[in-house]
Amino acid sequence: MTQPIDTSIYIAITEAIRDEAKRLLLEGQVSAVIGYAGARRKGSAQPVIISQAEDAAKLIFSPASVNNLALYLTKAKKEIPKNGKIGIVVKGCDLKAIVGLMGESQLKREELYLIGVPCAGVLASTAQPSTGLTAETIAPKCTECNAHLPAGCDYVPNVQLPAPLQLEEKYIAEITRLEALTPVERWAYWKEQFAKCIKCYACRQVCPFCFCEQCLCDRNKPQMVESTPRPAGNTAWHIVRAMHLAGRCAGCAECERVCPMDIPLNLLNRKMAKELKELYAYEAGFEVNDKGPLSTFDEKDDQSFIK
Amino acid sequence: MQKYISKQNLNTLLDTMIAEGTRVVAPCLNAGIPLYEPIKSASEMVTELLPRRSSKEAFFPVCEDIMSYAKEGQHVSLKDIDPSRFQETVLVGVRPCDAAAIPVLDAVFSWDYKDEFFLERRKKTTIIGLACTDADDACFCSAVGLSPGETKGSDLFLTPLEGGGYACETFSDKGEALITSHKELFSEQTKAKALPLAEPQTEKIDLKKVKAWLDGHFEDPLWDCIAVRCVGCGACAFVCPACHCFDIVDEGTEKAGKRRKSWDACGFWKFTHHASGHNPRNLQPKRYRNRIMHKFKYYDDKFGQTLCSGCGRCVRICPVGIDIAAIVEEISKK
Amino acid sequence: MCNNNKNIYLPYLATVADVIDETPDVRTLRLVFQDEQLIESFAYRAGQFAEYSAFGAGESTFCIASSPTRKGYIECCFRSVGRVTEELRRLEIGDTMGVRGPYGNSYPIEEFYGKNIVFVAGGIALPPLRTLIWNCLDLRDKFGEITIVYGARTEADLVYKRELNEWQERKDVRLVKTVDPGGNGPEWDGRVGFVPTILGETAPAAVNTIALVCGPPIMIKFTLPVLEKLGFSDEQVYTTLENRMKCGLGKCGRCNVGNVYVCKDGPVFTAKQVKAMPMEF
Repeated sequence: MTQPIDTSIYIAITEAIRDEAKRLLLEGQVSAVIGYAGARRKGSAQPVIISQAEDAAKLIFSPASVNNLALYLTKAKKEIPKNGKIGIVVKGCDLKAIVGLMGESQLKREELYLIGVPCAGVLASTAQPSTGLTAETIAPKCTECNAHLPAGCDYVPNVQLPAPLQLEEKYIAEITRLEALTPVERWAYWKEQFAKCIKCYACRQVCPFCFCEQCLCDRNKPQMVESTPRPAGNTAWHIVRAMHLAGRCAGCAECERVCPMDIPLNLLNRKMAKELKELYAYEAGFEVNDKGPLSTFDEKDDQSFIK
Repeated sequence: MQKYISKQNLNTLLDTMIAEGTRVVAPCLNAGIPLYEPIKSASEMVTELLPRRSSKEAFFPVCEDIMSYAKEGQHVSLKDIDPSRFQETVLVGVRPCDAAAIPVLDAVFSWDYKDEFFLERRKKTTIIGLACTDADDACFCSAVGLSPGETKGSDLFLTPLEGGGYACETFSDKGEALITSHKELFSEQTKAKALPLAEPQTEKIDLKKVKAWLDGHFEDPLWDCIAVRCVGCGACAFVCPACHCFDIVDEGTEKAGKRRKSWDACGFWKFTHHASGHNPRNLQPKRYRNRIMHKFKYYDDKFGQTLCSGCGRCVRICPVGIDIAAIVEEISKK
Repeated sequence: MCNNNKNIYLPYLATVADVIDETPDVRTLRLVFQDEQLIESFAYRAGQFAEYSAFGAGESTFCIASSPTRKGYIECCFRSVGRVTEELRRLEIGDTMGVRGPYGNSYPIEEFYGKNIVFVAGGIALPPLRTLIWNCLDLRDKFGEITIVYGARTEADLVYKRELNEWQERKDVRLVKTVDPGGNGPEWDGRVGFVPTILGETAPAAVNTIALVCGPPIMIKFTLPVLEKLGFSDEQVYTTLENRMKCGLGKCGRCNVGNVYVCKDGPVFTAKQVKAMPMEF
C-alpha cells in the first residue's frame, strides 16, 4: 500500500520561483540564481546556474529537486563565479547547510538571496525521477524532516503546505536497530557496508561541508588514509569523514543519495548528530554559530570519556 | 552454431562448471546491490537488475596487486604476481552494452605494451551475453549504434524465448567449445519466438558528426555550460563499462608492502595534478571535456573506436544529473 | 628476474651507486642495475624517460639524464617535492630502488648529424637536455657548432655545476650561462638576464641548426618567439613535455594533451607539434 504524498503545490512553487528569479535578474539584484531545471529524462531535475532573466523560465521545483545546491556556494566550487549577490533556491534541509557554512565564515548572509521552498519531500535515490512521491519513494531524510518550511529566507512562495504525513522515521529506526546489536555485530554490519566503497568520492564532492582546499585523504605526505578501495582505506575514510562532519552535518543526506554503492552514509552522520544532541544539547543548522560544540571547551562538558 | 538451452539446463551448466573449478561470474546481489561477481551456485544469478557496475571488473578489477616488495637493509626483493590468480572464467548474463565494451578495451590494454592483468583474464574468459529485455530512459545503446540484441563481445549469446529458455548463438571458438563440452545440455533450436527486446528511447546519433565537431572545438563555451555543475567525483567513470584509467600506488609498511593498480577517474582534480602544484586540467570543465573527448574523439583517433556503449549508468548515477546522451545528442546537432 | 617477465609494471632493481647534490633540493642518483646482464642490455636513447620506484612510496617519472654513450649506469635527477621524490632523496649509496623503462620516444639524433646544435634550458629542465648534450659531445665529430644557453633563478639553482665548468673550458662548446636579475653573487662569471633575452643576444645562426628547448612553460613561451625571430622554423625546434604519468605505457590515461599521449607519442616533440596541441600541459 503506497501512500501518495501531495506535491501539487510544487506547480505554484515553480511559477513563483521563476517570477522571483526573473525579477531579481532583471533588477540586477543578483548576479546569478542557482536552482533546478528539467532535463532529458522524464521527470528529472538537475542543478542549473542562470544569469539571464530569460532563463528563469527554465527553473522548476519537483520531487526530483533532490540536490543540496548550497554546494555551489562553497569555495570548493571554483568554477562558479562568486561576484556579487547570488540567489539560491533552498529547501529547509539545504538551508541548514547554508546556516552552518555562515557559522564557519564560508558564506556571508548579505551576499545571498535565499529563495525558500516549502517542501513536502523529494524522491529517494532508488526511485526513477518520473515516479510520484509516496511513502515508499520519498527520500529517507524526508521522513524525519523538521524543516518543511525554511525560516529566515528573503522570499518564500505563498503556498499552503499540506500537513505532513506521519511516516516511519527511517534513520531513528535504523539507529535503534544498530544500537541494539553487540559491538561485534555492529562492526560486521559496517565492515560489509564499507567493503562496498569504490572510492569515487561522490560523498565528499557533494557535501557542502567538504570544502577543504585539500582533503586529508588526497594528501600523501604522509599518506594518512590509503587511497585504494580496500577495507583499511575505506574504513578509515568513512570514519574520518563522519568525525569531520560531527556537529556540522545537518542531514541533507546528499552523501548517501549519491553513493553508487548504497552505503548508508547519512546513518553515520545521524548517529553523530544524536550523540552531540545528547552530550551538548546541540543541533546543527538552526542558528549561525561560529563555534560548534567540538571546537569549544566548556568545563561543564561531559568528561566521562576520561577514564 | 545455433542451439537451444532451457533455463534449468543453463543453471545445470553453470553449476557443473562451478563444480569443475571454473570461476563463474554473473550478476548477483552483494549486500543488496546487483554486481557482476563470482557465484557459488547458479541460483545466485539475478538477471532482472542491471548490475550497478559494469562487467569490465572481470578483467580490470576495482583494485588489484601488481607486485609485492620486501626490504631488508639495503636489499629489496620483489615478488611478481601469482599467475594462478587468472582463473578459467565464464562471465555469464552479461548485458549487451557491457559485453560490447570489452573488446573496445582490448585496444588500449594491448597496444605496444601488453597488460597481462587484463589480457590474461581476457584469454581465459568466455563471455555469455544475454539479450536485454528491460531498458529505462537513461539507456541509450541505440544512440551509439548498439542495440539490446547486440552480440559484439559475446562468445555465446543468449536470447530469452517465449515459453522459457534461450536461443544460443556462438560467435567464437570459445563459445563453440563451451557448447561442445556440455552438449548434452543443449538441444536443437526451437521455433519459439524471442521475448520482446528492450526499446531504448534514443535515436541513433551520428558519431562521425560528433567527432568532427569535437575535432574543432577543444575550446568552446559548451564545456563551461555543461560542466560548471560537475562536482568532480569519479562515480561516472567507475560505473562505466569503457572507462579504464587507473592509479598505481604502493601500500604497506617500511619493510614490506604491495604495489596496487586501482581505478582512477579524469574527473578528479588530483588526476593530472603535478607535485609542483601545476595542473594542466585545473578546472572541472576542462576535466569533463577530457571525459567527452576521450570517449568520442581521442579513443577514436587512436584506435578507431568509441568509448561508450550507452549503458546509461553514468546518467543514472551522476549526483548532479549530467546526461552524456543529451550532451552527445546536442553536439551531433551543432 | 625481471628480464623475461610478462608483468609490464614490474621494475628492475638498481643500486644507488652515487648521490650528487646539484642544488639544495635537486639531487642526482647514479644507478647500476643489480642484474649484471641488464647492465649491458639496457638500451635507451637520449630523450627517453623511466619510472623510478622508492618502494613503499611509489613511482615517479623523470627522464634518463645520463647519455646512452656512457655505459654501465644510468642517472636520474629530480627535485624533492612529492612523496616519492622525498623518499628517493632519503636513499643512500648502496640502497636499492626500482626502474621501469626506457619509455617514450627520443631525440632523432641521427637527423642532427652535420648540423649545429643550440641547447636552451632553464632551471631544473637541464637534465632532459644533458643526456643529449653528452651524447653529442661524445660523438663530437658528427655535429657542427654546439651552443648551450642555460639559466636559472640564482647561481644556487644551476644544476650540473661541475659539468658547466667542464663545458665552459672546452673549446668545442660555447656555453652561455645566466641567472635571473638579482640571482648573481659577487663571484658570478656568467650573464645576468632571463634565458629568452640572453638567447636573443647570443643570436645563434638558424641556418643548418637544431634548437632544443627545455624549461618551465613560461620560459618556453617566451623562447619560441625569440627562436622564430632568429629564423628558426618550428621543425627546427624540439622540446619535451612533462605531464603527470603513472604507467608510462599508454594505459593509465592521465598524461594526454588532447589526443597525444605524452608517454607514448612523446616526451620529445617539435615546436610544430606542440603548437598544434591544445593548451593542456
